[in-house]
Amino acid sequence: VDWHTGRQEVEGDDVKYMVLLYDAPNIRENLSPELIAEMGALMSQLTESGELVGGEALADPSVTKTVRSVGGIPAATDGPYAEAKEHMGGYLLLDVEDEKRAVEIACRWPTSVVSAVEVRALMNQEISPQ
Amino acid sequence: VTAGEPIEDLLRVLAPRVLGTLAHRDPDFADCEDAVQEALLAAALQWPVEGRPDNPQAWLIAVAVRRLSDARRADSARRAREHRQATLKPTDALASGMDDPGRSPDDTLTLLFLCCHPALSPASQLALTLRAVGGLTTAEIARAFLVPDATMAQRISRAKQRVRATGISFRMPSPDEQTERVRVVLHVLYLIFTEGHTSTTGPVLHRDDLTREAIRLTRLVRGLLPNDGEVAGLLALMLLTDARRAARTGAGGALIPLPDQDRTLWDAEAIDEGVRLVTATLGARPLGPYQVQAAIAALHAEGDSTHDTDWPQILMLYRVLEELSPNPMTRLNHAVAAAMVHGPATGLALVDELAREGQLTSSHRINAVRGHLLEMSGDPEGARSAYLAAARQTTSIPEQRYLKVRASRLSQECSVEA
Repeated sequence: VDWHTGRQEVEGDDVKYMVLLYDAPNIRENLSPELIAEMGALMSQLTESGELVGGEALADPSVTKTVRSVGGIPAATDGPYAEAKEHMGGYLLLDVEDEKRAVEIACRWPTSVVSAVEVRALMNQEISPQ
Repeated sequence: VTAGEPIEDLLRVLAPRVLGTLAHRDPDFADCEDAVQEALLAAALQWPVEGRPDNPQAWLIAVAVRRLSDARRADSARRAREHRQATLKPTDALASGMDDPGRSPDDTLTLLFLCCHPALSPASQLALTLRAVGGLTTAEIARAFLVPDATMAQRISRAKQRVRATGISFRMPSPDEQTERVRVVLHVLYLIFTEGHTSTTGPVLHRDDLTREAIRLTRLVRGLLPNDGEVAGLLALMLLTDARRAARTGAGGALIPLPDQDRTLWDAEAIDEGVRLVTATLGARPLGPYQVQAAIAALHAEGDSTHDTDWPQILMLYRVLEELSPNPMTRLNHAVAAAMVHGPATGLALVDELAREGQLTSSHRINAVRGHLLEMSGDPEGARSAYLAAARQTTSIPEQRYLKVRASRLSQECSVEA
């Protein structure tokens, strides 16, 4: 057996998380100033705690260009890839203690009461000590 | 401290001593730390041009004290009032730094206890230790942890604010407290080591620095606490683990498991030192988990191959380790050793027990071990699906690649047999 690890702890795994923020239909038109302020407050809390590595908001899905293969040749068309009700609206990149903390932050994102927020682990180049 | 030493190395050695001298006299640790960082930066810029001062430590203390009082003067009247009574006179610190070199080691230990204070989060403890004791810049720490400079700067300033807010003072913990506090310090050093050790070559090459830094700091602690068996155990564990660094990865950072490693690439000198440390510490002192882990690592290092390895002894040590510090990872490693001694069925039973208890369910390691044990027991189909399950669970690219290779090798075997 060669999967011997001399490692005692489970922690210390260097995993970063991307929190994918989906927009419910028409949510952008209905964003109240309070909700925007809440987002800003959470972002600055995460900046202050040193957990926020990055994050961006995406422009409206209607201004998307989608590149598809047409007869083996890539061609751009107007509009989003999928005819979905919810579109990805932005992301947060987090470096947090564990998955539990990433999920906690996702739950605190103001739009999580109306639309989906996905927490995805990032791949990395680390290997376990052995 | 020798004259031929590179300036950076010298600064790293002096950083905790200078900070210790300042923090010893001035109650505001955060301000002291800022002042020392500025002094280190000034030295890094000036010394290569103007030459090294005769007494580098006194130079750094003088500059840091000046920066500290400049900062205070520039500060608001409120802050100035708060600190008036406590503010250090430059001449005091300068004198103490030059006249009392014997006090420096104690200050370094006090500094380590402060940086690894239980009121700070592990992430803060790591960052603060590397900056205040290790003398690394924020940018260097940020690079090592693969986060932007701004993120790390926030983390460090947050940690220092917390030191200020919780009133953690720069003093030696009481003797009753010390044992527990040493454990926290060792844990932080161990985490710094694993941060560096788990990285592979390629985009994260510079993370090797963390491994070296952890070993350097643990050596420093060993000098301060020469009679602590766990300090020796941790140093031995790091040396024995790091000795295999060159053999752990192949072309493009591909993972090479222990049995396939080219043992001539192992660092014989590091293994020698590690084995000597472990031998000297085992039995002589109350046994702790780092000593036992180091003893296990020593047994792995001493075998000429995986088959020559003294598995019954390793199994016995895992039992001891489970007693000392119960932990699911230890139990998983115990299962591997049990399989090597009593056969894969025994190992698999232990792995299943862990899984039934819901331990390590989100980790890929349970399935990875299960894959190996099923392969050993002659169940290629079962092994293959366990490897693939582990490959889906891991976030490590080299491990995922390795697990997929293992799985595909088995599917070839299966089709040949069929």
